[in-house]
Amino acid sequence: MTLSNLQGISSRLTVPVIGAAVFLVLAAGFFYANGYAPLDIFGQILQGAFGNAFSINTTLTKTIPILFCALATALPARMGLVSVGAEGQLYFGALIGTAIVLHWTAAPLWQLLPAALLLTLLGGACWGAIPGMLRAGLGVNETIVTILMNYIGIQLVEYAVYGPWKDAGNLGWPATIAFPDSAKFPVINIGSLSSNWALPLAILIALALHILVEKSRWGTGLSLLRSNPRVAKLAGLSYPQQVIAIMAIAGSLAGLAGYVQTANVQSHLQPDISSGYGYVGFLVAWLAGQNFLRIIPVALIMGGLLSAGDALQLMAQIPFSSTLILQALLFISVLSVSAWQQKRRNAA
Amino acid sequence: MTFDLLIGLLSVALLTATPVLMAMLGETLTQRAGIINLGVEGQMLVGAAAGFAATHSSGNPWLGLLVGAAAGLMLSTVHALLCLQLGVNQIASGLALMFLGNGLSSYYGTPLVGQQIDGFTNMAQGSLAQLPLIGHFLAQLTPTVYLGFVLVVLCGIFLYRTQWGLIWRAAGESADALHMLGRHPGLIRLVAILIGGAFSGLAGAALSVDYTRTWVEQMTAGRGLLAVGLVIVARWNPWLVLPVALIFGLSEALSLRLQSTGADISPYLLGTLPYVVPLIVLLLSYRASQRGTAMPQELAGVFRGMA
Repeated sequence: MTLSNLQGISSRLTVPVIGAAVFLVLAAGFFYANGYAPLDIFGQILQGAFGNAFSINTTLTKTIPILFCALATALPARMGLVSVGAEGQLYFGALIGTAIVLHWTAAPLWQLLPAALLLTLLGGACWGAIPGMLRAGLGVNETIVTILMNYIGIQLVEYAVYGPWKDAGNLGWPATIAFPDSAKFPVINIGSLSSNWALPLAILIALALHILVEKSRWGTGLSLLRSNPRVAKLAGLSYPQQVIAIMAIAGSLAGLAGYVQTANVQSHLQPDISSGYGYVGFLVAWLAGQNFLRIIPVALIMGGLLSAGDALQLMAQIPFSSTLILQALLFISVLSVSAWQQKRRNAA
Repeated sequence: MTFDLLIGLLSVALLTATPVLMAMLGETLTQRAGIINLGVEGQMLVGAAAGFAATHSSGNPWLGLLVGAAAGLMLSTVHALLCLQLGVNQIASGLALMFLGNGLSSYYGTPLVGQQIDGFTNMAQGSLAQLPLIGHFLAQLTPTVYLGFVLVVLCGIFLYRTQWGLIWRAAGESADALHMLGRHPGLIRLVAILIGGAFSGLAGAALSVDYTRTWVEQMTAGRGLLAVGLVIVARWNPWLVLPVALIFGLSEALSLRLQSTGADISPYLLGTLPYVVPLIVLLLSYRASQRGTAMPQELAGVFRGMA
């Protein structure tokens, strides 16, 4: 290994290592200020995230939607778009996917699941394509539109489950009928570990996106559109077309997060299918530097943090909202350290 | 009859528009100095929680508004640190603020859930109510609505009629030129971020102390982000903030009105109105706002290419 190689690795590790250190100091400060022993809490977070088979299974369950939503954020980011719309795309995708489950409840697995997934992809794609079209056609800032559409998407799901799709058998509880097993991703059991096929699917999509974006001509085109739109236009790339396509694909990925939450985790379409997974996915994508491979471990860590948040609330009586603060502190730490490194690199 | 209905609708519209109006004014001031702050939502949330807590423990709603503004200002220092000092992308930094404000207000606001406050005293017996014709209408409004009117006037005069307003706007048009004149655009931007923070904290407090009189997690429900979007519709002009904020207010008032009259539409579908209507207005006016000279030039880069 040559010296320049070593330097390359050390400079690539600077942001994660220093960022993590800054985060730990901030997080310790937060817990200390609120009267908790930081080291004990950190130990409990590790325990709650990966301590035993049960906590690992919970972590994996939470990792799936986070991973899909992170991919839905990172893909637009590769061409310079800041989409915060995964939350709404998640809801709208789940809403459209649920439609076929309600009307075709008795169909066998090999028909119902693919049909529901196809509709979910279409629903998510619609919700993603709208801000894409507005950006492409009118130049409207996609960050504002995607966030506003989140609120609309969530309310449409509420409309459905409080209104036409509410199952009378739920005794007033706003939810659809229970999903049949044929609408769910099949379960995978390895020893005491348990998850479902959405997890390998998400990882496969991440790998495929990595290869497509890093190695294919299409990927080169995306980074050209981001760094130098004029040259990209000369090279025959259409910005409007790519924006709409990318936002639609991203939306369909976030839609999958919504479907797996609805079908496998909650078994019903109900108002709160996401615990802010769209926003957590956004953070994961940024923390991973919009790199599809790095997103996988970061999503797992964030899934662990959320699952630990549940455990902390039960055992140490720490409100779950503390994990929201931890996420924000982590985001701030990494943003600051990478900006600081960028500044240093520019100065050098 | 119809007249009474319209007056009722307008007064509800003004009540619901006021928090958005205050947040828009703050963001207008911030953006006029060349900085975008998407963290308005988070600042409103901490303002709402802190303002509600202060009112609950002291019984004084004015103190609540003050504490809310202070809380918003404190949170905005994070944005100042991240983008002015460290050079973090403004959009990312604003989103970090949104997440942090959401987390902090949920965490520290937990004991406030379900608590009640009295808010401001009813103005129906005041001297305003004695005025002929409009007295009844004026008495339906609350002190924060009037505070909002005053702030519009103050901001308008400050930006367009004072020396400092000119320098402030110059920081947003060309920081380099201002720098060459021996001024400090960085300092002006710092003040602009802090003032914007105070305004949105005040906006949050107006929401929780005066309008809902309760605290619920994430109670701002996107109003802060709407405010950022509507600043564009108002062309970065404080005088236009009132009519544009009323677009939100009227759609919310209409949605509430239709729900209470038992219209045959789901309240959840009606609930999308306050988002859909301002969004459509934003789309309709976006092109023109970018083409015209209204947009502070220093913002152009942040709006277009972001990486």
